[in-house]
Amino acid sequence: MNQNGSAIIAMVGKDCVAIASDLRLGINQNQTTAVDYSKLHKIHDKLWLGLTGLIADQLTLAQKLRFKHDMYELRENRVMSPKVFASVVSTTLYEKRFQPYYTEPVVAGLDKDGKPYITSMDLIGADASADDFVVAGDNVESLFGVCESFYRKDLEPDELFNVIGNCLNAGVNRDCLSGWGGIVTLITKDGPITRTLKNRMD
Amino acid sequence: MSVNLDLSFLHDTERGAASTKYRDEALQGVSNSVHASNFTAPAVEDFDAFQREVINYVKPAHGTTTLGFIFEHGIVIAVDSRASQGPYISSQTVKKVIEINPFLLGTMAGGAADCQFWQRNLGIQCRLHELENGKRITVRAASKLLANTLYSYKGRGLSMGTMIAGWDLNGPGLYYVDSEGTRLKGQRFSVGSGSLFAYGVLDQGYRWDLSVKEACELGRRAIYHATFRDAFSGGTVSVYHVGKNGWTKVTGDDVGELHFHYYPSEKIDEDSLGGLGKKEAEERAAAEATAMET
Amino acid sequence: MSDGRYSFSLTTFSPSGELVQIKHALAAISAGATSLGIKAVDGVVLATEKKLPSTLVDASTVKKIATLTDDIGIAYSGMGPDFRVLTRMARKETQTYYRTYKESIPVSQLVRETATVMQEFTQQGGVRPFGVSLLMAGYDESGPSLYQVDPSGSYFAWKASAIGKNMVNAKTFLEKRYSDDIELEDAIHTAILTLKEGFDGQISADNIEIGIVGADRKFRILSTSEIADYLEEVE
Repeated sequence: MNQNGSAIIAMVGKDCVAIASDLRLGINQNQTTAVDYSKLHKIHDKLWLGLTGLIADQLTLAQKLRFKHDMYELRENRVMSPKVFASVVSTTLYEKRFQPYYTEPVVAGLDKDGKPYITSMDLIGADASADDFVVAGDNVESLFGVCESFYRKDLEPDELFNVIGNCLNAGVNRDCLSGWGGIVTLITKDGPITRTLKNRMD
Repeated sequence: MSVNLDLSFLHDTERGAASTKYRDEALQGVSNSVHASNFTAPAVEDFDAFQREVINYVKPAHGTTTLGFIFEHGIVIAVDSRASQGPYISSQTVKKVIEINPFLLGTMAGGAADCQFWQRNLGIQCRLHELENGKRITVRAASKLLANTLYSYKGRGLSMGTMIAGWDLNGPGLYYVDSEGTRLKGQRFSVGSGSLFAYGVLDQGYRWDLSVKEACELGRRAIYHATFRDAFSGGTVSVYHVGKNGWTKVTGDDVGELHFHYYPSEKIDEDSLGGLGKKEAEERAAAEATAMET
Repeated sequence: MSDGRYSFSLTTFSPSGELVQIKHALAAISAGATSLGIKAVDGVVLATEKKLPSTLVDASTVKKIATLTDDIGIAYSGMGPDFRVLTRMARKETQTYYRTYKESIPVSQLVRETATVMQEFTQQGGVRPFGVSLLMAGYDESGPSLYQVDPSGSYFAWKASAIGKNMVNAKTFLEKRYSDDIELEDAIHTAILTLKEGFDGQISADNIEIGIVGADRKFRILSTSEIADYLEEVE
């Protein structure tokens, strides 16, 4: 699970959610091969998926989930809610119960009423949604630590951006395999805003 | 019929039995706690299995990049400062250059405790050598003392990859010594998980007639690039220079700032960022422009 | 047989472009007991005749309306055994949907899935089309809805519709009585009146069946005493 390195956080704010990922891609654990590799995937304007773990499995799963989402949207002619998408992710992962994808997903989005929803899962789809924040990656202990310290309820969008950005940066600074900059997507009722973060490059 | 002759002087060709006795007494205080024979092996049936288990409790400075090279004006030693336990960064401020004495430096890779302890031990041995012989130990001899100590512990689980650098009557000396018992004399070495990355920069930029300033910069840059590419190296880059008057510490830079010193205008390619469409990128650029105005 | 050459396989078109087996299926449905449905502003009602072959049959055990999910019900005209098969398939579909999405299936989706199954039985070898038309009623996110599905696999959403033996008259009646702002209670009365119109013999709580879904989004089949009360109200 920590072959390529990754760190992802999702946080709930006031009528908004944010999801953040580091930008490192490593191979053979230690060799940093890219520092512009986002692990966030846009499902639709108000629904994002973050995938940690093995890069190959991240890509495969992202493609599979995007396919399932697009088919749902065409078939049912409606927007998929974050909750429904999380169920799809969960069942898709459990289909491979005995030969799993080595990736742990984070889902963040707003439903049609603008209500925030975030959840994280293990690699076979046991989901644990939260009303504050979720973390995933190869160094969840550090990420949890900073999030527990810095998180506050009902943050306004720009405050939320600052908190999640600082948490990601502080968290990855205790991890060899993730970091090298970050990316944050903030989802509000007006749509997503994506910004990049600067951080130490070692 | 036999004649009892006192042949004990044959066992020690350098000194008489009496001087050995006094030396032993004088050393008792220090050597009791540091001499090889005082470390007892654990009373377990399967030593290897025990070692495998116990290694998990040892705090290893596993991820490391260190380098050293000899050039016209001495030696440059450069190191990073990260200590990791698995993927976790346990410290970003580890001192990986061990100042054995004013003319000798050791570098640290592998087990932090092993390096610190045995290089301090080496310092003691070198000082004793000085007291006994009235002159500084050569780098060749010092590195050999360490190599011998490590060899005596071969197979017991020590983990060290060090360079011994110093200046003696022969000029600059640089040796690589590790816990397998290897001892190599050389012009350029790099040790640790990031060593290959450092070698790349080092070999490319190395010249014999480098100035001290250029050499120190080469060492710093080689370590910086290793911290960038190697996940297990990072923190600060420390650069030492060893000249005929001993070593001096030249620079110590936080990599967090050093990167942007080397690449001040590095931009992340917006197109490669997942999900960030052209429209969003434009919006962002506009937002940034507004932010700059205000 | 007049169309013998084109009916040996239901996957073969006749020269006039028809799949005659489907026509035959519709004929079977037209012979079946009448069923109807009315969509109101705050719910949907399904009503059907419960025609029994003999007075000796225990009427309380005959069910012509089935519940598919909490908020979707289904009625039919045509062959009872075929209806049973489709009901089982539809119920399975609702559960499969719930398992993947953790959300109950919208009526439109269940209708489409059911219609897809029915269509497959018009194109595969070794099968025959279903001898039923379905009326599916439900109340979901998008409000109340009423659908009719035919053996060909085609389906439509209706404000009110009728199938079975008396469908033509029933539809005419419904066209006259229907208004866009009809409420569920009125719709139940209208449903009973429509059935009564073409009823063969005396209508009673035992020989009709009624299923309703209201704004509470719970589909339920009315008990005989409830039906008896409604019958009294319309008289």
